[in-house]
Amino acid sequence: MKLASRLALAAAVALAACNLALAQTSPATPPPSKKTVICLLPKKKGLPYFTTCAKGAEEAARELGNVELIYDGPTDGSPEKAASMVDRWTLRGVDVIAVSPNDPQVLGQAMKKAREKGIHVITWDADAAPEAREFMVNQATAKDIGYALVDAMAKDIGGEQPEGEVAIITATLTAANQNEWMRFMNERLAKYPKLSLVATKPSNEDQRLAFQIAQDLMKAHPRLKGIFGISSVAFPGAAEAVKQAGKSGSVLVTGLATPNDMKSYVHDGTVKSVVLWNTIDLGYLTVQTGAALASGKLKPGQTTLDAGRLGTKQIEKDQVLLGDILVFTKDNIDKFDF
Amino acid sequence: MRTPPANGPDSPGIPPLALRRMLAASRRQFVTAAVLLFTLVAVSIANPAFLSGQNLRDLLVQSAPVVIVGCGMTLVILIGEIDISVGSLLGLLAALMGVLASPQRLGLPIPLVIAGVLVAGAAIGLLNGLLVTRGRVPSIIATLGMLTVLRGVTELVMGGEWITNLPPSLRWFGTGSSLGFPFSLWVAAAVAMAIFALARFAPLGIRILAIGGNPDAAAIARISVPRTKLLVFALVGLLTGVAAVIAVPQQSVIESGIGAGFELVVVTAVVVGGTSIRGGYGGVVGTILAALLLGSIRTTLVFLDLGESAVYWERAIQGAFILVAVLADHLASRPGPDDSLAGARA
Repeated sequence: MKLASRLALAAAVALAACNLALAQTSPATPPPSKKTVICLLPKKKGLPYFTTCAKGAEEAARELGNVELIYDGPTDGSPEKAASMVDRWTLRGVDVIAVSPNDPQVLGQAMKKAREKGIHVITWDADAAPEAREFMVNQATAKDIGYALVDAMAKDIGGEQPEGEVAIITATLTAANQNEWMRFMNERLAKYPKLSLVATKPSNEDQRLAFQIAQDLMKAHPRLKGIFGISSVAFPGAAEAVKQAGKSGSVLVTGLATPNDMKSYVHDGTVKSVVLWNTIDLGYLTVQTGAALASGKLKPGQTTLDAGRLGTKQIEKDQVLLGDILVFTKDNIDKFDF
Repeated sequence: MRTPPANGPDSPGIPPLALRRMLAASRRQFVTAAVLLFTLVAVSIANPAFLSGQNLRDLLVQSAPVVIVGCGMTLVILIGEIDISVGSLLGLLAALMGVLASPQRLGLPIPLVIAGVLVAGAAIGLLNGLLVTRGRVPSIIATLGMLTVLRGVTELVMGGEWITNLPPSLRWFGTGSSLGFPFSLWVAAAVAMAIFALARFAPLGIRILAIGGNPDAAAIARISVPRTKLLVFALVGLLTGVAAVIAVPQQSVIESGIGAGFELVVVTAVVVGGTSIRGGYGGVVGTILAALLLGSIRTTLVFLDLGESAVYWERAIQGAFILVAVLADHLASRPGPDDSLAGARA
């Protein structure tokens, strides 16, 4: 009896906990309207990178007027939670779902189900299997990014023939974006025969882990000259480790992150170059693409898209291209606020 | 190693089973120390840079939060309970610290921020204790619920955004040094010594052991079981606050995922360190050794250069450690014919 009542109480507490957890991640139900409903799913909600994308997305939604934007995603980056959000939106029957998949396998299933229900599905920031979406809004080609990272490191190390050991701290070993970039980074490293890649380590989108891995790498490879932090979480983590080890300037860190996160490291000399695209524009272009798809203005096979304040954007096969890569240095980083 | 409370006027005599467990616990502290020493020596031979002052310092700093909370957790497990909410509590206290300190949010003075974090930690620990003693919820279920609840609350507190721009005076608690050693190490050493003394010499320590060994006998000996448990749960909450104060400002950013999985590392450290998961026997020294051992796994994997996926092995190895430790505990205390009473309690 006593045991039964204890178990019942325990179950009630656990259930309440689950409910609370669910309740705080589910979006508020919007009032019914004839507006085009576009759902924007980031890999991990709360990251400054994605928060600035959302800013651009809101701007596009405001400009278009007839768009209702829902921005939501898992705060822990869990692909399973992301997939369940896509499922929920599918049940609601929204118009467009734009996904940045953390794990293309897991998200792909949910995206295919949404497409079967007649919902327009696009990817942005990261891609999934081609049959899971109609278009991808691509910030830059993997080749551009991979080459830009290696070129930035070579320039930062300096000299005719930049020389030394370098290491990569990536997101997860299954992250599609990072793996593509690393493929092209390796290709580009061939241009600098004296740069040797000694290690590639995952950081699981965890800044603390990236920090510790960078500490370990510096000690395990005492001749290390440079660290690539190729996610917006790994980069500041690696920079913090180099700074705390007192190696600012002798171990160079470069990678991808929003300028606001890196300003202090750029000014104290730990980081010379930050590679990124304009994330506000990426969110803006994603909503423009989604709206054009929903209204029928954008069809497969088109080669250009009229994207509001960004002007006309190129489409390569099923990739809507944002365009230029930005390299932030101490000379220009203060001009950007995102 | 632990002095048994056998000679106290009110404590029950130690049955043979208990004696065997106690010996097993002290043996395990030696085993843990041996494995730790072996790892350090083996990796240092493979890569002498492992033994550098910088690396040992980094290892200690990384292990400091596990040591601090592990000391409190040792008491919780000694008393026959468990608290698996500490990971989420660390995350919530990190968020709270950010909201209180960040100039963009509340921007309170640093002493107030730290007091707030410590008080909140102790209060939530107390709440765990109340669920267990007043609510009569088994501690594993109560703190499992809290693990989820606190993570949810953390995300509400953060408002879905990271907290950046921590004031430099707060960052000092994570990155600063005094008298040549990182501040976090001084704090961890102070906590370890205080809890060691408390467990071994203070009446509270004796009460904890008595309750963990046999709660019914302890109650007969007029020890207030609920009050002691409340104290211990509040203490582990407070220590989680202390860990937050030294660990969180080490990074430039506070994110909502801080502390995920921390509870597992802490519980693993306690169990691998030789404290019986059934309560009653064990101690802080083993926990500290095991925390250092667990903390060195990842660095070892990087230093041995075992390939890019080696980082993922860390958890598998930690898991293997806990299985071996619990199995050893079980084998050491397999009840004999005279032990039916003690066996029934477990």
